[in-house]
Amino acid sequence: MILYRLSDIQKVYLRRSVLDIASLEIEAGKVYALLGPNGAGKTTLLNILAFLDAPSCGDVSFRSQTVRYTEAALQELRKKVVMVDQHPIMFTTSVYKNVEFGLKIRGVPKIERERMVEESLDRVGMRSFISAPAHRLSGGETQRVALARALALSPEVFLCDEPTSGIDAENREVVVDVLRQINREKQISLIFTTHDRAQASALTSRILVLEGGRLTATAYENVFTGVIEKHDDALHRFRIRNGLSIEVPKNEIEKQAGSSKIYLDPAGLKMTPFIKGRQPANTIKATVISTAVENDYVRVVVDAGVSLTALLPAAEYREKRIIAGDTVQLIAPPESIHLI
Amino acid sequence: MDLLIDSLVSAFFLVVSMDPEMLAIVGVSLKVSFGSTLIAALIGIPAGFAVSFKEFSGKRIVVTVLNTLLALPTVVIGLMVYAFISRRGILGIFDLLYTQKAIIIGQVILIVPVVTVFTLAAISRIDERYRKTAATLGANRLQTAWVVFREARFGIMAAVIAAYGRVISEVGISMMLGGNIKGFTRTMTTAMALEYDKGAFTLAVALGMILLGFSFGMNLLFHYFQGRTRI
Repeated sequence: MILYRLSDIQKVYLRRSVLDIASLEIEAGKVYALLGPNGAGKTTLLNILAFLDAPSCGDVSFRSQTVRYTEAALQELRKKVVMVDQHPIMFTTSVYKNVEFGLKIRGVPKIERERMVEESLDRVGMRSFISAPAHRLSGGETQRVALARALALSPEVFLCDEPTSGIDAENREVVVDVLRQINREKQISLIFTTHDRAQASALTSRILVLEGGRLTATAYENVFTGVIEKHDDALHRFRIRNGLSIEVPKNEIEKQAGSSKIYLDPAGLKMTPFIKGRQPANTIKATVISTAVENDYVRVVVDAGVSLTALLPAAEYREKRIIAGDTVQLIAPPESIHLI
Repeated sequence: MDLLIDSLVSAFFLVVSMDPEMLAIVGVSLKVSFGSTLIAALIGIPAGFAVSFKEFSGKRIVVTVLNTLLALPTVVIGLMVYAFISRRGILGIFDLLYTQKAIIIGQVILIVPVVTVFTLAAISRIDERYRKTAATLGANRLQTAWVVFREARFGIMAAVIAAYGRVISEVGISMMLGGNIKGFTRTMTTAMALEYDKGAFTLAVALGMILLGFSFGMNLLFHYFQGRTRI
């Protein structure tokens, strides 16, 4: 079932378009990651999905109903959707009262409220803080209580803005676990923003990439800025700022002559252990930094002066026996190179 | 120097002996100041919220006017209200002139801008995320405003205390609209002015000591609440 349907959405701030989405559908019960650099429009989109902000133009429908931007209609919708901020703020009262807030507004009886507050705090491992002053908690604890505060309301949609940014590893683990659980156990739709491609991949395969306010087909990795250098009519090379140089296929030059960005499709890159001798075009010597399993693929991050990612089929990865620390050669075939 | 020391000693004994006349004056002052502060808070706090929450054209002008009204001289208010409530004024039929109600009306006009501007400042210091959090948790506008009020409560309390401090020490309005009638509209400040005119310093100094004591207490409270806002 389609939960959200956005068409021709634009958000304009000070005459500048910060979000411009022609069409987007979000399915119910799924997990979506919104990936993109700072200023890409992730939070703006999340605010629109949370009904906290209205688009400057375009239509949003929620469960097939067109959203009317009146205070009464929005307030009804907000009872189904909860957003947790990147840096959540606690009301200057106890943890209990913070988590109880939304339940009280919904007219939940006191005994029921107590049970739900305790349950939600249990889920995030913060039950022992129930009487603590909420505004004095650490960043990670605040994030966990904010999750509990939202969870207590059993929303249909859970929106999280950078849920793990700026918190320590232990708290990050708890937060990611909770997010995973609420989707699996309660079938709550989850939409979160992140910079972290690995985190996005760990939680979902549905990744939406925003760049400059637009949804893009690229995967928000292996995108580099630089300049195109013309060697002769047949040979153009793209020089990435740190010196790495990639030969660009002719058809890409014809399509995007003035481009200053290159994208190397991680799924298109080939990787083999390093072999000395004559190399094919666009072979890059690199050191493996990390590997992570991602469904039927293994994401291999290498250092080649810049950080590059290759997505290898799991079987191919096993066969090539690549481990972190290995020196490898990365080959970028013409079909994996795109000027953007 | 002898005059000051003699007056201080006599005033001290007057205060300690709980002189009935002095107590009556203090009672009127407290009653009138408390009444005007209460009414001004009931007007000024919602007004501060309205100006802060609503986006409307001319908002800057409203804030500038409110800031200007902070410096409104008490005698100007006294004259203005007098024009309305004197026998020849349009509110003359209510017989308000030289009553405690008249003083309260004038003092309310004096401190509504104080409460409004300080409330506005207290709310504007509150993190925008409180409103956003309340809204996403399902709060309506009134409930969101209540959340903001709770967070700004110490700042708003400081606004009310500042307003109380302003009215208890003012003399122009009390004198012009109250008429300094003994036992009825004689406040600490008007009594002090009268005693000074008579050259009788003892009661004036005693009242001054009490007034200073009140001001000190008010300032202690003010700083206590202001300090709490920084939590």
